[in-house]
Amino acid sequence: MSVDLAATLVVAIPLLSAGVLLLLGRRSDGFGHWLGVAASAASCVLSVLLLLSLLGSPAEDRSVGVHLFSWIPAGELSVDAGFLVDPLSVTFLILITFVGTLIHVYAVAYMEHDDDRRRFFAYLNLFVAAMLILVLADSYALLFVGWEGVGLASYLLIGFWNQRTDYAVAAKKAFVMNRVGDMGLLIGMGALFATVGSVEFDEVFAAVPGLSEGWLTAIGLALLLGACGKSAQFPLQAWLGDAMAGPTPVSALIHAATMVTAGVYLIVRSGPIFEAAPTAQLVVAVVGAVTLLFGAIVGCAKDDIKKALAASTMSQIGYMMLAAGLGPIGYAFAIFHLFTHGFFKAGMFLGAGSVMHGMNDEVNMRGFGGLSRYMRVTWITFGLGWLAILGIPPFSGFWSKDKIIEAAFVGEGWQPWVLGGAALIGAGITAFYMSRLFFMTFHGEPRFNDGKNDQPGPEQHPHESPALMTVPMIVLALGSAALGGVLMVGESFFHWLEPVTGHVEHHEPVVPVPVLIAATLVLVALGVFLAWRQYWAARVPVTAPAGSVLTRAARRDLYQDVVNEAVFARPGTHLVRTMTYADTAVVDGAVNGLGAGAVGWGERLRKVQNGFVRSYGALMAVGVVLVLVAVLATRI
Amino acid sequence: MSLVNYLVLAGILFAIGSAAVLVRRNSIVAFMGVELMLNAANLTLVTFARMHGDLSGQVIAFFVMVVAAAEVVIGLAIIVSIFRTRGSASLDDASLLKS
Amino acid sequence: MFVAPHIEWAALTPVLILLGAAVIGVLVEAFVPRASRRLVQLALSALAVAGALVAVTWRWTVVQSSGPRELVAGALREDGPALLAQAVLLVLSLLALLVIADRSRGEDGFAPTAAAVPGSEYEDQARRAGLAQTEVFPLTMFAVTGMLVFPAAADLLTMFIALEVLSLPLYLLAGLARYRRLLSQEASLKYFLLGAFSSAFFLMGLALLYGYAGSVRLDELAVAVPAMAGMDGLLLAGSALVIVGLLFKVGAVPFHAWTPDVYQGAPTSVTGFMAACTKVAAFAALLRFVYVVTPGLTWDLAPFLWTVAILTMVVGTVLAIVQTDMKRTLAYSSVAHAGFLLLGVIALDERGIGGVIFYLLAYGLATVGSFGLVSLVRTKDADGNVTSEAGHLSEWAGLGRRSPVLAVSFALFLLSFAGIPLTAGFTGKFAVFSAAVAGGAWPLVVVAVLASAAAAFFYVRIIVLMFFTEPPVAEDGSSTTVVRTEGLTAVAVVVCAVGTVLLGVVPSAILAITAQASKFLL
Repeated sequence: MSVDLAATLVVAIPLLSAGVLLLLGRRSDGFGHWLGVAASAASCVLSVLLLLSLLGSPAEDRSVGVHLFSWIPAGELSVDAGFLVDPLSVTFLILITFVGTLIHVYAVAYMEHDDDRRRFFAYLNLFVAAMLILVLADSYALLFVGWEGVGLASYLLIGFWNQRTDYAVAAKKAFVMNRVGDMGLLIGMGALFATVGSVEFDEVFAAVPGLSEGWLTAIGLALLLGACGKSAQFPLQAWLGDAMAGPTPVSALIHAATMVTAGVYLIVRSGPIFEAAPTAQLVVAVVGAVTLLFGAIVGCAKDDIKKALAASTMSQIGYMMLAAGLGPIGYAFAIFHLFTHGFFKAGMFLGAGSVMHGMNDEVNMRGFGGLSRYMRVTWITFGLGWLAILGIPPFSGFWSKDKIIEAAFVGEGWQPWVLGGAALIGAGITAFYMSRLFFMTFHGEPRFNDGKNDQPGPEQHPHESPALMTVPMIVLALGSAALGGVLMVGESFFHWLEPVTGHVEHHEPVVPVPVLIAATLVLVALGVFLAWRQYWAARVPVTAPAGSVLTRAARRDLYQDVVNEAVFARPGTHLVRTMTYADTAVVDGAVNGLGAGAVGWGERLRKVQNGFVRSYGALMAVGVVLVLVAVLATRI
Repeated sequence: MSLVNYLVLAGILFAIGSAAVLVRRNSIVAFMGVELMLNAANLTLVTFARMHGDLSGQVIAFFVMVVAAAEVVIGLAIIVSIFRTRGSASLDDASLLKS
Repeated sequence: MFVAPHIEWAALTPVLILLGAAVIGVLVEAFVPRASRRLVQLALSALAVAGALVAVTWRWTVVQSSGPRELVAGALREDGPALLAQAVLLVLSLLALLVIADRSRGEDGFAPTAAAVPGSEYEDQARRAGLAQTEVFPLTMFAVTGMLVFPAAADLLTMFIALEVLSLPLYLLAGLARYRRLLSQEASLKYFLLGAFSSAFFLMGLALLYGYAGSVRLDELAVAVPAMAGMDGLLLAGSALVIVGLLFKVGAVPFHAWTPDVYQGAPTSVTGFMAACTKVAAFAALLRFVYVVTPGLTWDLAPFLWTVAILTMVVGTVLAIVQTDMKRTLAYSSVAHAGFLLLGVIALDERGIGGVIFYLLAYGLATVGSFGLVSLVRTKDADGNVTSEAGHLSEWAGLGRRSPVLAVSFALFLLSFAGIPLTAGFTGKFAVFSAAVAGGAWPLVVVAVLASAAAAFFYVRIIVLMFFTEPPVAEDGSSTTVVRTEGLTAVAVVVCAVGTVLLGVVPSAILAITAQASKFLL
């Protein structure tokens, strides 16, 4: 099978499946979910074929362009739709389709009692197709199509249970904040078209040396804004917590493994632009550093298991952004961490879903406790993910996150200390809140009414989830455990990515590597210990205690929503009200006035046509005289 | 004798013809005004032919006469049909179509 | 020593076919028995127009291969724009002929005997005897002949003669309506008087130009324009008067006053023929004159032409908004369209020629189709007799429910007039407006777009009237009815509708042809 055909089918099959499921409607309820799984699995197989095809060719030939059709032949702007199959896009392909297929299988069981399960799978397939378009696109324009597609799918899936108003509101909030980011991407594309005359990757990157740094910085910042929106980075991160209103498979697939990583993909793909605009690149790194701390602090105070995992996602993507903002030395690490994070975060989300499934959809961790006894498989798989995210060797997170911390400490001046320090401290806080989450859920005394103890609340019967749910979790856990180590053998992953990220010399960080590793492990151990002390050894209160100022601030997402409301939402509403008034008063007034004027003039002019042929003749004669006067006036 | 005088005469005839069309109520007289305008143009043509020493102007004048004759046929047919319908040849009476 | 001029008979075949058919038609009137006269005339005319169309196509291929040329010792030109205009004319004439020839309940749209006084006993006798005024066919053929020569004329004399040949039959045809004969005769009188008046201006302009350049040939005028500085007055006055004469035919303000009255009074099928074909011929001739003779005079003539264009668009639109009669509304709308077409003339850009011809085709199809449909909607009086066309707009209310096919096709034509995308009118407007912008006349385009937007009002008003309003209940017991015909009008309307849609959806083929042919042979 040729690369062209495989690349086209990899997108076409989930897209067609989504279309079929939506068009057939209720008639496909019986088999709809299996069709969705099959479509996703087919894409996975095709992605593996593409991977093998690329592996089989020598390193120089690993960038294959697939031309699809001429899309916008609008004179100067001529955009062709085409795919770019290279190591970066194939990496994402594997991640999206493999993790995606596992989550599809999981969702068959998770959504079993939902009448709209088929529609859910249609949207999931739509999402997969859009995400694949995003990573396979060979131009910013086609990437934008995928970008918008995943935004749409995210909206539809977050608000899947839109019978509940707060879920629908959460979906709207996600969509609107994404829109703000999309403005950035559009402005960046517009600036690229204005300066380069094209938005295709190869033409843009070839033209980068010829552009001024001012333009490149502006474009880079605009692209960063888009990335922040999609990847929930500061200052556009407030939607991710609310997005947890969607069913858990959605949170796992979209808001952990794939869509939120699209921003990182954009930054890495636009590497040549950022390398030529060091200021923009630094801003990327700073945004990443700020977000990783932000997410970590917020995660410490969340009692909702999904929201805590969301904060963790935000923070981990901050790590990836930080790495991407470090320049060529960081790209490969960012993608590496993205890849491993996809496995362990998705696995943990599926585990959280499993817990919710067993605990009657309860999400408050203060109502869990001691679940390791009842849900062994979930406990073990979640535990493997926990160890991975902590960065305990030899699990995958250790390999990927430590590389980032090392790279953060490379450089001169204040940069390595600030960025590296943020990454290091973030690792410690991550350890704390992830352990907090793990211990509160699975260890300690049960804080729920299990029929035998004296806890308040309705009786719960935690049980292990069915095989369709546990098998994907097991697979993901295995990935979390081993993937990092496997890919690090011979630095194969980095060599694999070299055609895209470029070969980078190894730089020494300002703090020696062994010291860094040791410091990281010490901070991690400290974090785990503090969490153990507070959430395992001690009794966890069922109702949340008042907490310190920082805790309260962290519970309220560090007041981000309040700021958004005051700075953007309220003035925005005022602005819209003013414009609506201007529209009715000025624009409609002008149009109505024009109409009335036309009728008034018409009535007056009618009288000229009085039916007497001589007056028509007079009109003509007057016209002729005026014409002659006008034409001859200059000659006299 | 300056040839410009003929041009002036032609201009005056043209103006008189236009005035006849615009001022006279009787359709036959108005049509006579049109014929006067056509003949004023003929005079102009012939005068310019003389000025340029070229015969084309006079040949064109012949063509115009033929055309004017054809026009008279058509015009009188129309005027007669209206006269037989209304009993009057007044232009102002034919004003049913308006505004 | 007289040297006989060389006459290229082959190149003249379209004109000769039509002229021959017209002359034979007159003979048919004299010699063929009354019963078969109509059929013979119809067959003759239709075959002649179709044959002329084939001949024009043939000449097009010849010109494509061997280039444009002048004919009849310089009296005619055979070049791209002339042949294109002739082809468009013949297509529209054929469709209009079908509408003219159509009969409903055994009666056509023309008075049984034009010589009978309206309302007299003679007229009733003629009607009962089933008389038909079949001279309309040769008259139409003469008019089409004149229209064919008009765009191809290479000197002003030929142009003048063609102008008269096309106008005189139209003056007569306007007076031959079957119903409302008073209005029809009045329309004929007005058209004749004002037409003769403007022809006199044209002729005076011709004389002045002859005085300026010593020749009436367009090519020699074009050469003389930059040459002589001293006698500019003659040149300018002459050009202005010639253009005035042409603007009258086109229906531009302030020379438009005849249009509403004549369009309303004339038989509806003739109105369709006039509105479409006269405009094509006149605009093609105007294009030739302006592009060939006056490019050097743009500075002087531009204010005059710009003012005329703006006034035409605005007055046409504004007056159409306040009309209450269907045919009058369509008449004022055609004035507005003349204004839009003037943009292509003023553009003095090569794309203007192709754009104007395409717009004329699109406008012509919609015009013939819409007037064909108007001729089918009649008033039925209290006794059940079907009489004249339903004139007042209110009589059209609710047609959508009773005759959906008619209403939908009429709506299609109205949308094409309005310039809604996916109709031919939109493509035409786009072509003309882009040519105008290319020629630097963008303020005119702004006015044109505003006028189009305002015009959409009265087009849509009719559509709303047909589909979303209840039929009125008149006090005198009359109602509106749609008559069945022998089918010729239906064929014409279908062809026009299909053409309108095709030119709107896939115009590229025709656009390519019109763009290709945009070079006047001097």
